[in-house]
Amino acid sequence: MSFTSDLRVLLWKELLDLYRDRRTLFTSILLPLISLPLIGFMGIALVEQQPVLVAVVDLDDSTVRNELLNITVSSRWLVGNTTKILEKLGYNVTISHSINVVKNPDIDVALIIPRGFSRNASSLNCTARVKVLRRAGVQAAIRAESTIYSIINVFSRNISDAKLNAVIQLLGLNATIPALRNPVTARTEVVGISGQPVSRAVVLRNAFARILVLAFSFVVTPAASYVIDGIIGERERKTIELLLASPTTPQRIIYAKLVAATLLGLITALADIIGLVVYMVSVSIVSGVPFGVIIDPLLLVLHSLTAFFTILSTISIALPFITRTRGIRSASNIVSLVTIVALVFFFTGFFVDYIRLPNEILVPLYLIPFTHSILVIQGYVLGYISRALIHLAVLSIASVALLVIASKTIDTEKLLIAPL
Amino acid sequence: MAGRLMLVVKDLHKIYDDGTHAVKGLSFSLKQGEIYGLIGPNGAGKSTTLRMIATLLKPTKGMINLNGIDVVKEPFKARRMIGYLPEEAEVYTRLTGREHLLFYAKLYGVENIENTVKYGAEISGLGDKLDRKAGEYSKGMKRRLLLALVLMRSPQLAILDEPTSGLDVYASVRVRRIIKEYVARTEHSVILSSHNMLEVEYLCDRVSFIINGKIITTGSPSELKARYNALNLEEAFVKAVEEHGET
Ligand SMILES: Nc1ncnc2c1ncn2[C@@H]1O[C@H](COP(=O)(O)OP(=O)(O)O)[C@@H](O)[C@H]1O
Ligand SMILES: [Mg+2]
Repeated sequence: MSFTSDLRVLLWKELLDLYRDRRTLFTSILLPLISLPLIGFMGIALVEQQPVLVAVVDLDDSTVRNELLNITVSSRWLVGNTTKILEKLGYNVTISHSINVVKNPDIDVALIIPRGFSRNASSLNCTARVKVLRRAGVQAAIRAESTIYSIINVFSRNISDAKLNAVIQLLGLNATIPALRNPVTARTEVVGISGQPVSRAVVLRNAFARILVLAFSFVVTPAASYVIDGIIGERERKTIELLLASPTTPQRIIYAKLVAATLLGLITALADIIGLVVYMVSVSIVSGVPFGVIIDPLLLVLHSLTAFFTILSTISIALPFITRTRGIRSASNIVSLVTIVALVFFFTGFFVDYIRLPNEILVPLYLIPFTHSILVIQGYVLGYISRALIHLAVLSIASVALLVIASKTIDTEKLLIAPL
Repeated sequence: MAGRLMLVVKDLHKIYDDGTHAVKGLSFSLKQGEIYGLIGPNGAGKSTTLRMIATLLKPTKGMINLNGIDVVKEPFKARRMIGYLPEEAEVYTRLTGREHLLFYAKLYGVENIENTVKYGAEISGLGDKLDRKAGEYSKGMKRRLLLALVLMRSPQLAILDEPTSGLDVYASVRVRRIIKEYVARTEHSVILSSHNMLEVEYLCDRVSFIINGKIITTGSPSELKARYNALNLEEAFVKAVEEHGET
């Protein structure tokens, strides 16, 4: 009988069996579906959602007008601006006119506007000082503190603008405000390779890609255990002998199992993606970046293809060992050596931009197929489209070659008889 | 009964990787329409011999010829003529009986799948239970399903390794009846192994006593009883072993 019709019949049996194996399906899908968004939520959302109480203490509570400069400063404006912005960012704000409020242990940050603030701020020879008290050891308080600093910066600059304007007018100078205040400026821009500044959306997309790389580790493990169970399990459950006696070859029997395992891996990858998309949607809601900007359908297609070939190469590498072990336990031990290598790569891919590694480090790593899996995703996201496609091609050729080599090691007698 | 030669085995040896010399120069032949039994205690080399004929193990030495085909050189050609029931075979617990029949009918690429499955269903005698998951079957039902998988294609040579081992009396009787009826209906050959003398007397036209990987004597059950002046096959076996000087 022909290769394809044999394979079709064998695959039919594998998939029917897998479809009825609800427990395996359930765990392969549910694990990434739950754990990936959970990693995301624990990492960002929960930390950001910690309630922080900020007290704004206005001891000045006055409005002062400087007639000479024709400007007015009010401590109430600072109170109003600070309160509005902090509340918008999700902080709880309480306003007080008494210093006693800072004795309240629930308060994480306090902005204290001392007496004389408006007078000093509007004068030509004094500086108004405000004080920020921050409770030690509260992570979220640091963020509230820096928000307050930037509000005060803006507030100060506005008054400075008004003062400089008034002075320029009084003296009848031909001057601009930036020339007076910042004669020299420097600025750092974070750029993509095309040279444009990187937006928050791009930063989020990169984060998404990092998690996609991490997600490969969720895919290889269930696929590998399915292959172990399919081969060693059939021997232990004593269904393999009847199958081996049929006119199909042991290679085709194994191929059908590998394809079924890879399909299971793809289902897992799909669950990964759904889990990630759910997570990214919530991030997009929190961050205000439109969802479509973060998630790129082409990236998801690349992820699925890469997942397919990553699984295929993993189980092809593991196959010669699987068929030569005695039981499911020893097969699992050996296969975990292969999957641990994969996990190390995917975990480091979460932190390291492989594509930026110097060649003397990166080129030897090309020997490991997982390097190419990482480079497909990272290359695409960082804008090296053709490089990403080259790595996908290398990965697919390597995985098929590994499969062909692995299938040469299969023989009926070794599949049938467990080594002692 | 005396048809043409179906299977010829000459000087068959098997030495396993660990050095165990399990089969030491077996020679026998089997005619068309004959049921032939390999009788011997556990570890005698019956399963090893049957696995070599079924092309699952490579003989260390020797020749196996099935209907003019060199089984060792052309295993895949031979497999189409063979139906092999392993000693310890199990069903796929999540598939139904009918799905088993369908799977193996398709895998062997039989010409008429529908008729083959129908015949398999009939052999199994499972009736309505055929559409239930095989994991729910009793031991006897599982064995009948496996036997149906092997026989539904009407293989010219059925190799049955201890077809009734582990079954109760009623289940065993049903299995033996299936084997007898199969040969009567198709005039094909069966080689089986057993250590149940009653079963062998009922089923086999000819038997060989095998011990320590060697055949010590061959003949029809009545010939063997007469040769060793024994009341039954069990007694004949014991006397044959004593005479041969092996334990
Ligand atoms: N895979 C194997 N590796 C090594 N020795 C084996 C193997 N299988 C069987 N044997 C040995 O070969 C001999 C014959 O076994 P077997 O053919 O199963 O006997 P029987 O079927 O008659 O009980 C026994 O001594 C057994 O221990
Ligand atoms: Mg045996």
